[in-house]
Amino acid sequence: MGALGINLPGLITQLVSFAILFALLSWLLYKPVLRVLDQRSSRIRESLETAERVRQEAAESQADMQRQLQEARTEGQQLIAQAREVADRFREDELAKARQEISAERSRAEANIRRERDAAIEELRREFAGLAISAAERVIHRSLDEPTHRELIERVLEESAQTGRN
Amino acid sequence: MSTLLRRPKTLAVLVVAGVVFIVSLAGGALGNEFGGGFLASPIAHIQLPAESITSGSLFADFQITNTMVTTWLAILFLVVISVLATRRLKDVPTGLQNVVEIVIEGFLNLAESVAGPGRARKFFPLIMTIFLFIVTANWMGILPGFGTIGRIEPAEEVVHHLEESGDEVDLADVRLQLFDGDGSFAVVAFGSVDDEITALEVEEHGVKEGQQAGLLVPFLRSANTDVNMTLAIALVAMTMIHFWGFSTLGFFGHMGKFVNFKQGPIGLFVGLLEAISEVARVISFTFRLFGNMFAGEVLLVAMAFLLPLIGIIPFLGLELFVGVIQAFIFSMLTLVFATMATVSHGAEEH
Repeated sequence: MGALGINLPGLITQLVSFAILFALLSWLLYKPVLRVLDQRSSRIRESLETAERVRQEAAESQADMQRQLQEARTEGQQLIAQAREVADRFREDELAKARQEISAERSRAEANIRRERDAAIEELRREFAGLAISAAERVIHRSLDEPTHRELIERVLEESAQTGRN
Repeated sequence: MSTLLRRPKTLAVLVVAGVVFIVSLAGGALGNEFGGGFLASPIAHIQLPAESITSGSLFADFQITNTMVTTWLAILFLVVISVLATRRLKDVPTGLQNVVEIVIEGFLNLAESVAGPGRARKFFPLIMTIFLFIVTANWMGILPGFGTIGRIEPAEEVVHHLEESGDEVDLADVRLQLFDGDGSFAVVAFGSVDDEITALEVEEHGVKEGQQAGLLVPFLRSANTDVNMTLAIALVAMTMIHFWGFSTLGFFGHMGKFVNFKQGPIGLFVGLLEAISEVARVISFTFRLFGNMFAGEVLLVAMAFLLPLIGIIPFLGLELFVGVIQAFIFSMLTLVFATMATVSHGAEEH
């Protein structure tokens, strides 16, 4: 052992020296440096996670926007279609109403015309009856009582109208 | 080749390199045999135990050896670097902090890949300290001034030391060196390769005026060329490994690996082998590092002796490599042994 140089005082000195170095380096070097390394890696991990989250959020909000846009578009189209439908229906209604009115108007006019014609015919007949009576009075110079005459004439006219119609 | 030679710069470099090589070859120990040797100095005295830089013991048996000085310098260097690097830790690292972070993070990742994230944090301070200390000490050892600057141990003291170690001393075998000047600081002159005398000659004839005989005791010597240092690191490593073993597996869990009655005589025998291998690990830790670093020192001394000026240049590169590799091996083996020690045998089998 002596020839190799192993001796107890030397060994103990070197042991103590190495132990002191171990303690000093642990305290002065590893602790602070490892702390910094850990901090940095945790910060990098955090920022990566944040970036990922932000990216996801952006993608989500973009999808959201897209969806809303799509919704608005379909809604608008629906609205337009509805409006067109309403307009169509309104036009149809109005047209139908107008048509109805026109036909009503026409039938009323026709009825008027007919009534007036009938009235005119009636009046004409009455006048004609009067004329015929006065003419007959003059011809036969005898006076007949009015109601009898009128009945007579009515009967004649009725017959003539029936024959005229046939 | 010929086009390369035609460029004056390349040619000049080659010529200078060739001249330096020839000069160093002729001036070295090889040239000395043929009448040269004007640069050669005697091969440095190589001894296994670390030399004491004080002439006597400080107290009791304690002597400050040159490897202790280097150990303390390495510790000082590491502490100063640590303080400088961690003085203002920033989130965006610059300069020294970058270097420190690369090393620490690299080792932490390596430890995590071997031992898993939880245990890596536990083992990390030890293996990192082992690596940093060994690599610092090894690389310091190849700086100029290591092994070459020191005090002169006079002839009487050399002989006294040898007698103290208990062996029979033959004075004719004790080779000493002659130094110019008479202070305790002196230089080994160029061309002094033949200025070697034995202790016998000193005793019989004395030395010339203005010269002294003795041995150079370097003030600095690479810390890991001392068995005490490598043994100390190995003991710390193995103690911590077993401490972790006990604290993770419990007393019986860890002891069960070495004293195993459950599986009959085979289990007992395997446990015995395990126990022996634990002891062998301390020894292999110690002598792997010591052997590599000591051999490196001897290699550099020998090359400086054979080819002064340029001989050691390629080997300095080799020593840098060996220094970091040995540090890495030591710390990695510690990590692996610690990982193995904290895994119970049952878990290993399944």
